[in-house]
Amino acid sequence: MYRIWSSTNMAVCIAVIGKENSPKYVSCLNSDNELQFHYKVHTALDVVEEKLSLAGKSNNDVRELYLGLLHSTEEHKIFGYVTNTKIKFIVIVEATNTTLRDNEVRQMFRRLHAAYTDVVCNPFYIPGDHIVSKKFESVVKSIMSGNP
Amino acid sequence: MAVWMDGFDFPPELCSKPLALIGISGIDVTKNASDREVWESLSNNRAPNRAHISFKLLEPQHVFPVMKPKRNTYDWYIPKGILKRNWIVKHLQELPAVNVLFYHLDWDDPNFAAKKLDCANRLQSIRGALKGRLTRLAVVLIQRTAPVAGEDPSAADKANALCTACELNPKCLFVLPLGDHLQGYILRLEKAFLELAQGYYHHAIRAIKSHRDQLNKTTQQYLMVRHLFKIGLLSELKQDSHNAHKSYAQAYSQLLDLRVADTNAMEVKTVAGLINYKICRILFSQSMPRDAIAQFRAHTEAFKNREGHKDLTFEHYGWLAKQYWVFGDLFDEAIKQGVQAVQTQHPGFYYQQAAQLAIQRKQACEQLCQNVTTYPEPDPLTGMDTLEFFGQRAWRPGSLSVEPIDPSRERDGILALQFREKNGVNHSSLIITLFGIAISQFKAFRCPRMRRQLLVQMAEEYFSAKDYGKALTVLTHMLWDYRSEKWWRLLSAILLRALGCAYLTAGLQDYVTLSLEALGTAAQLTSQDKTRVFQNLNRILKRQLPEPEPGLSPIDLPHAKELWTASCASVDPPYVTVDMSNVASCVESKAKFTESQSHVDKPVLIEVYVRSSCPHPIQFSKLLVTVTTPSMSTELPASIVGPSEGHPLHFETNSVKSYMCQFIPDHRDVGNEIQITSILLHMGADGDRNIILRYSCVSNESSGADDICPELQHFRPTPVKSVNFDSIRVQSTTLLVPRTSLLDLSIHHDAPALLGEWYKVQLKMLNNELCNASSLSVEVSLVPSTDDPHQELTTQLCKDVSGELVSLPMQLIIGDLNVGSSKEISFYVRALRLNTRNLLIKAKYLMLDPSLGINAEFWNVCEKLVTISVVKPFDVLTKFISLQLDPLTKAIALEPLIAMPHTECLSPWPIVIHNSSFELAQNVRLVDDSFVSQLEGLELQKGEMAAEATVLNITQPSDQPVHVGTYHLQWSRKGQEHMVTSSTVTLPTLRVENAPIYVEMVLPAHGWVRTPMAVSYRIHNHTNRLIDVDLSMEASDAFMFAGHKQLQLCLLPESVRTLDYNLYPLLSGLVALPRLCLSLVKEGQLELQPPALAELLQRCLPTHVYVMPQAKGKAATPQVPVPS
Repeated sequence: MYRIWSSTNMAVCIAVIGKENSPKYVSCLNSDNELQFHYKVHTALDVVEEKLSLAGKSNNDVRELYLGLLHSTEEHKIFGYVTNTKIKFIVIVEATNTTLRDNEVRQMFRRLHAAYTDVVCNPFYIPGDHIVSKKFESVVKSIMSGNP
Repeated sequence: MAVWMDGFDFPPELCSKPLALIGISGIDVTKNASDREVWESLSNNRAPNRAHISFKLLEPQHVFPVMKPKRNTYDWYIPKGILKRNWIVKHLQELPAVNVLFYHLDWDDPNFAAKKLDCANRLQSIRGALKGRLTRLAVVLIQRTAPVAGEDPSAADKANALCTACELNPKCLFVLPLGDHLQGYILRLEKAFLELAQGYYHHAIRAIKSHRDQLNKTTQQYLMVRHLFKIGLLSELKQDSHNAHKSYAQAYSQLLDLRVADTNAMEVKTVAGLINYKICRILFSQSMPRDAIAQFRAHTEAFKNREGHKDLTFEHYGWLAKQYWVFGDLFDEAIKQGVQAVQTQHPGFYYQQAAQLAIQRKQACEQLCQNVTTYPEPDPLTGMDTLEFFGQRAWRPGSLSVEPIDPSRERDGILALQFREKNGVNHSSLIITLFGIAISQFKAFRCPRMRRQLLVQMAEEYFSAKDYGKALTVLTHMLWDYRSEKWWRLLSAILLRALGCAYLTAGLQDYVTLSLEALGTAAQLTSQDKTRVFQNLNRILKRQLPEPEPGLSPIDLPHAKELWTASCASVDPPYVTVDMSNVASCVESKAKFTESQSHVDKPVLIEVYVRSSCPHPIQFSKLLVTVTTPSMSTELPASIVGPSEGHPLHFETNSVKSYMCQFIPDHRDVGNEIQITSILLHMGADGDRNIILRYSCVSNESSGADDICPELQHFRPTPVKSVNFDSIRVQSTTLLVPRTSLLDLSIHHDAPALLGEWYKVQLKMLNNELCNASSLSVEVSLVPSTDDPHQELTTQLCKDVSGELVSLPMQLIIGDLNVGSSKEISFYVRALRLNTRNLLIKAKYLMLDPSLGINAEFWNVCEKLVTISVVKPFDVLTKFISLQLDPLTKAIALEPLIAMPHTECLSPWPIVIHNSSFELAQNVRLVDDSFVSQLEGLELQKGEMAAEATVLNITQPSDQPVHVGTYHLQWSRKGQEHMVTSSTVTLPTLRVENAPIYVEMVLPAHGWVRTPMAVSYRIHNHTNRLIDVDLSMEASDAFMFAGHKQLQLCLLPESVRTLDYNLYPLLSGLVALPRLCLSLVKEGQLELQPPALAELLQRCLPTHVYVMPQAKGKAATPQVPVPS
């Protein structure tokens, strides 16, 4: 069985948000409406914060990092993921991309998390700074384009 | 809102909850008080829990809507529209389901027959007015007398007669007695009316259903929708919301099947909106919000692309916006009724969407209507409010879609609509209103960031409505929020827009603040933008006109230029102060004290760091630091550290410079904090306009408080030799402490202190200062202890042992102390408990300050802490023993015993015991007349033990352990015999039992062989009874004796019987004495068993005595020791 990778993009925007909700990295497939995506990512944090505060109350030992679908509009679906150190990952997918399965979204976040871990492991990276890394950039691009 | 919504507003009768209409006639509210009371209890207080009825008061000659002639067949009927505008109103407000005739008639009325006819006539006239309608009729007889239990037997007959006369179903005849329970009767009547009404609506629905089957689906689709809608509304009136929903849903799906062309698009959409509204409303009221949302989604999905006529797309967006708006209202209403909404699904989203659509409407209008300048004549929109059907065009009412249209009339109509849209609708206020509602919803549902984005959009709308002041106000608030979360990309976009607003309103303060922020690194602007902002800022300084921001409407520019010209010419304000604490500026500044504590005799140093990240070189004129102490507030000029090239306040891009300033603190502020309040950077030369950048240092939470860890900033690479600005920790306060005193205060004492003694502490003060000290005094205070919070109660101080106690803290006045001289002083401490004491000794004196000249005296303080540990001087252990020297666990009343205190010295220092004494309790007596201390003058080293003994007698037996008394010791350290300390030890308690008989033997200390010795036994009877005992003396090998060998004795109450014996020892050494035995003559005379009596004797009597051999060669002298 061969899986043919569709030519449609997996994600249109990927963002890394710091512990205190400031953006550390935002990348959009199409830079024309970058500002709109910034707003979308920013407003999605409302839902992330709400989910985190609810998870904090239930006091489970292990919190599920993947938050699932945060919000969907007519054009986009927004997914969220929060690491144990409260670093948030936001992925925006086009609403027309109906073939995308939950499993694939999880996979995207896992790759993103791994790439982020590599960034933080870099001794020249100061935690809290904006992420400037060619390697991270290329991972993000490949996640967006859907290439494994 | 009526201003803009012309065609889209929902008719109010549709939005209200349908209530069954009941007509009331025969009531005269104005003249008859009882009628008025009946009417008021019917119509007032229609709470939701009462029957869903609306009452309408009808005149006697009321005219009902005329009935149209019934159609026998629908075959050739072509409907001209979908829904008639008057139909809903007709059924809700004009055509009653039940008409109730109220009539005053008592069963026992004398004119019953006449009134019966009158009533029948009235009913007949109503029946005539309603000719052909199915409206139910009912009669209510208002009666003055309440029905009695035994009821008038004629009432039933009379009721029957009345019904016959009126041709009325007996079930429709009611009786309403006036009286106390009117409201109760009315409620019951209501229920009956509602049942009748439901019957009516049921019939009406059946009538519609009966001719619906005859309809033709191709030509009469409109009718299908209309009939289903009617059934829906009638079902609602019947309180049957299930069927109402079903019919509406069918009507809606029929409507979707309609063929839609430009000519009927508006009509279909209008009706679809109405039906959708009804469906959603019913679903919400049935607590099915998910279904309501799904229905609304399907509704918008079905119609969002049906834009209708291409020249009227604004109409489509207006309609769509209204759909979202009204749904938001419905949702909000449902939430108030208890439906649960969540963060991701609440009315805010619908209002937001409505606002977005209103923006699209505005854009479409701008695009389509820009060239429309004249209103066509004749007015094609006449009669718009009186159209027969919903959603039709005024210029071709009732025309069928198949009919050909008149192109010129059509064009005029469109023109008229466009003209109205352009000139009659205030789009911006509408959009802002919608954003406002949405914002409050998002706030309520915990979406602060969404709310901010909407506020920015609202500001955009203010901007496009040319309300630049409001736009600026909103934007500056949003800047603060986005800055605190460091969303620089969003901040930059808002910043540019705000800068435009500030330019257009010539807001100098805002303009400068925004410019400084725009030049900072956080603002992600292009270098052209930054250069323009920088140049404009320089122009402001030179009182020149700034260049306009790009992208502003050219219409506004001349006005803005005028404002700026006025602003530049005016002297006020001479300078602009910008609070930099809330600005991510291009120039940053930090100040810190070099020390966290400053001594008052040294200058206080402040380091100031300034960093410029401005893309262009920037120069300041002054740098000041404001310092506040409790006594003053000053501005200090700062000077650059190290050599500088050029102007000290000239900054290249990304350069950091450090400055230093200093000041001499005031002695009055000793003990207080000094605070750097602010750093002031002045821009602009003299004569120019000045800008003062004010950096507040009061709050330590600077803008960088979030996820930037200061610990990690040291890892940031910085150019060699330059200051790492980020890693500088702000130290904005310093504590002003007194100068370090040069007074040498030494303390001598012999630790540890002994519990209870006066412990001497010696202080020696040596003046090492350069000046004489005067008014020297020492204060001794106790440092509060955590182990013992009430230590001050068990610690005593005195200046002299013979003097009085001094309360804490103790003041010792010494006086003057010249340079180089020293003084000694001592005081005493007494600890009444064992824990360690910490004494704070504070020497305070006045001294001349040589630097401040004569008369400038100030206080100096020298502090030391003394720790005094306390130990016990000795431990006293008291033992009780019998006269036979056996240890005792209990005592017997009136039998003597020996108390023996053992004193063990624990003190590291030798102690001398001066005296010891007993203080005995009430029932305890010394056997001797007085006690002479055996320890007096004894010296004890550590670990040594001293003991003494005394014989006691306890007079009273007791169930409780008896308190024996206390033991007093007077002692002192060796060498300090003048300071005697008295310590008291409580003797252990003893259990004291009773014994009826006590036998005492008087025996010399020793005897001689073959020399008689006199002994006597004294037998005490402690009881108040006679005791008869048998006495026998057992022989002993060592003795011969003279006296009673066997005897019966009678012991008198509380008396002593003495028996004398003469013993003649035969052997020497420790020999056993003859044994005295006692037994009771009568068993059980005393509560004493024979063994107990034997034990008593054994305890009291000695068993052995020493008998000395006779000295050799010495004749035996008959010397008989006489018992004392």
